[in-house]
Amino acid sequence: MKNKNLLLFRTLLLSTSRRNTYRYSRDKKKRGKIVGSAVASVLLYAMLMAYCGLMCFGYGLIGLIDSVPVLCALTIAAIAFFMTVFKTNGYLFQFKEYDMLMSLPFKAKTVAASRFLYMYVKSLPWYLSISASMLIGYGYYARPETAVYPVWLILSLFLPLIPMLGAAFVGFLIARISAGFRKTNLLQTVITFLFVLFFFFLRFFLQDMFANGKAEQTLEAASAMTESAADVYLPARWFSDAVRKLDPVSILLTAGVSAVLFAVIFHIVGRSYRSINSALKSHAASKRFTLRAQKKRSPAAAIAFKEFRRMTGSTLYMTNGAMGEVLAALVGVITLAVGSDKIVALVTGGAPLEAHILRPAIPFIVYFFIGMFATTVCSPSLEGKNYWIVQSLPIDKRTLYRGKMLFNMLLSVPFMAFSTLCLCFSGGVPLLETASYLLLGFALCAFSTAWGCVCGVRHMRVDWENEVEVIKQGPAVMIYLLPNMFVVMILTVLVVFLGMALDHVHIALGFTAAAALFAALSYRRVMKLADRT
Amino acid sequence: MSERAMLEIRHFTKSYGGKTKAADDVNLSVYGGDICGFIGHNGAGKSTTIRAVVGVLDFSRGEIFIDGHSVKDDPIACKQVTAYIPDNPDLYENLTGIQYLNFVADVFDIGAAERKERIGRYADLFEIREALGDLIGSYSHGMKQKVAIISALIHEPKLLVLDEPFVGLDPKASFTLKEIMREMCREGTAIFFSTHVLDVAEKLCNKVAIIRKGRIIASGTMEELTEGHSLEEAFLEADNEK
Repeated sequence: MKNKNLLLFRTLLLSTSRRNTYRYSRDKKKRGKIVGSAVASVLLYAMLMAYCGLMCFGYGLIGLIDSVPVLCALTIAAIAFFMTVFKTNGYLFQFKEYDMLMSLPFKAKTVAASRFLYMYVKSLPWYLSISASMLIGYGYYARPETAVYPVWLILSLFLPLIPMLGAAFVGFLIARISAGFRKTNLLQTVITFLFVLFFFFLRFFLQDMFANGKAEQTLEAASAMTESAADVYLPARWFSDAVRKLDPVSILLTAGVSAVLFAVIFHIVGRSYRSINSALKSHAASKRFTLRAQKKRSPAAAIAFKEFRRMTGSTLYMTNGAMGEVLAALVGVITLAVGSDKIVALVTGGAPLEAHILRPAIPFIVYFFIGMFATTVCSPSLEGKNYWIVQSLPIDKRTLYRGKMLFNMLLSVPFMAFSTLCLCFSGGVPLLETASYLLLGFALCAFSTAWGCVCGVRHMRVDWENEVEVIKQGPAVMIYLLPNMFVVMILTVLVVFLGMALDHVHIALGFTAAAALFAALSYRRVMKLADRT
Repeated sequence: MSERAMLEIRHFTKSYGGKTKAADDVNLSVYGGDICGFIGHNGAGKSTTIRAVVGVLDFSRGEIFIDGHSVKDDPIACKQVTAYIPDNPDLYENLTGIQYLNFVADVFDIGAAERKERIGRYADLFEIREALGDLIGSYSHGMKQKVAIISALIHEPKLLVLDEPFVGLDPKASFTLKEIMREMCREGTAIFFSTHVLDVAEKLCNKVAIIRKGRIIASGTMEELTEGHSLEEAFLEADNEK
């Protein structure tokens, strides 16, 4: 008899394997898209590897190569934790084939564990890209024994497990708490938001604690912080000792603790898995509706409103789509309350930087949050099986995509304006300069919206099994997210340097023109794609 | 007719948010050789009851037994002898039909020769053999329904639970399914299915249960319920009375 855990896990992988789809699909366009997204994925992995590799070489150049194993473990742990917090709800709960699987003779624990393992395997290439690139840098500078290479690579498979299990357990607890209330979905969204925000801001307090206000703002200080963090997050220390000293106890601890934690967590999850899913998938009908006066909207506004309802109806969509906006607003409020000087000192670890120098970066700092996700990236694909509704309506695709873009603008612009105004007010930015930053922020929102829509329409995929595939793993999201983030980081540094020599308003207007141009080009591309699809 | 009920529902109650009762004190028994139709309006509680029977939906009040095993305490033993066909089958869209059927056959530990014979037989009956190599995502609703039906029949269940099984099926497939249900009934399988098509229920079932607002308002053999009238008349009468 076949092992049911493995059977289910294997089938789950096969059912979402692009190779399987490529092999059996007769749709040439679909096959082409699979090849295209595979190429795009390889490019993104290459970008990530280059970034991590360069960071590692930086450590090597100044003689801090011994900190790289800890850095590797912490980087993977942080990414794995945050990515999993956002994905847990979609992966473990509320997936489409839940009824089919639960009606088959599988234990609830088996179904939950297979979903987790599936999530782990799907994200493993990201973590291995980070680990492999850092191993190359470490190997180049540290010249370790040959045995270190296989030990490093094998233990890299375990590195994301503990943070992922922790995040999955948190997701489970959130679902468990929410399942006891009538407004399950709303409560789940709110708790997830609070949890992510807590950890986002906790990071700065920890950084402040480790830096202790004394360290200089150099890679050495970062290295000292990394080492201190490893004393708190023990798996990073175990990994470091395992690869640096080839310590068998550390090797066993890294692998063994992950395995034990997996068994314990899924024993607990399995016990109330069915009741949580039952609560999440059931919706009580109030049956108290009374028909009152109804509003008339334009087709584009109607689509924008539909997008709003779609977003608020899904915890996963809401927490991913609106997290940037909420963070931007909170950063604005906190800056206003605490003062920009203190925030700059906290973020830069007390580096000798005046807040004034950073002023031109305000629109990009705000955009870093607002633009980290555009709803237009995934909203075309999220139509999913309901795509026939908009297809059968007497509206052209241009109107459809305009509606989707309108929603993202309505979502992002108010938060951008609020956050920008808070930062400007706190930093004592003159009125004209503030206006120019608002203008630049608007242009950046427009660019994010239109470019997101290009990615979303170009890589549209409606045959998904689980909305995580679109919101967290879709090629459109990947193509939009990572380059956007890297470019914004580069622009933030660039604009600060330019601000030392040029007038801030002129810089903002120059970047506004550039962003507007790219937004217009992207919009034109969306309209062309609309005519073609 | 066998002594022990293949499906026994006792005081099953399911409420959402602690207030709205989707099923309220439902009692029902289906024996081997029975074809029991479960009828009621939209939102009456049919799917809630069915999903609880097949172990998909959790419930706190009442008990459901399948072949003597409690759905709450021994769900795996219950599922081992049950097959479920949902009204809107959400199958793995990126698997081919044959990959999906093999998955289900593996779950039920069916030997290679038996599975080949059964898949071949049912695929021919439902005229879907040639499409089994295609991705399920490329199937029509009816084709998906046919694959779901074959996957349910592949392990020769003792209890077959179907939620609106005839929706989306072409006339020939619908006829074939009815014939298979009759054949299974003759071999001692218990069949419990929901439907809105009262004509089908009347011709196919020997037992009927009518549910309204979560409560069973009438149940028994077809003869007891209809008393010489049509099932449609009996249903409307029971619905008006309560």
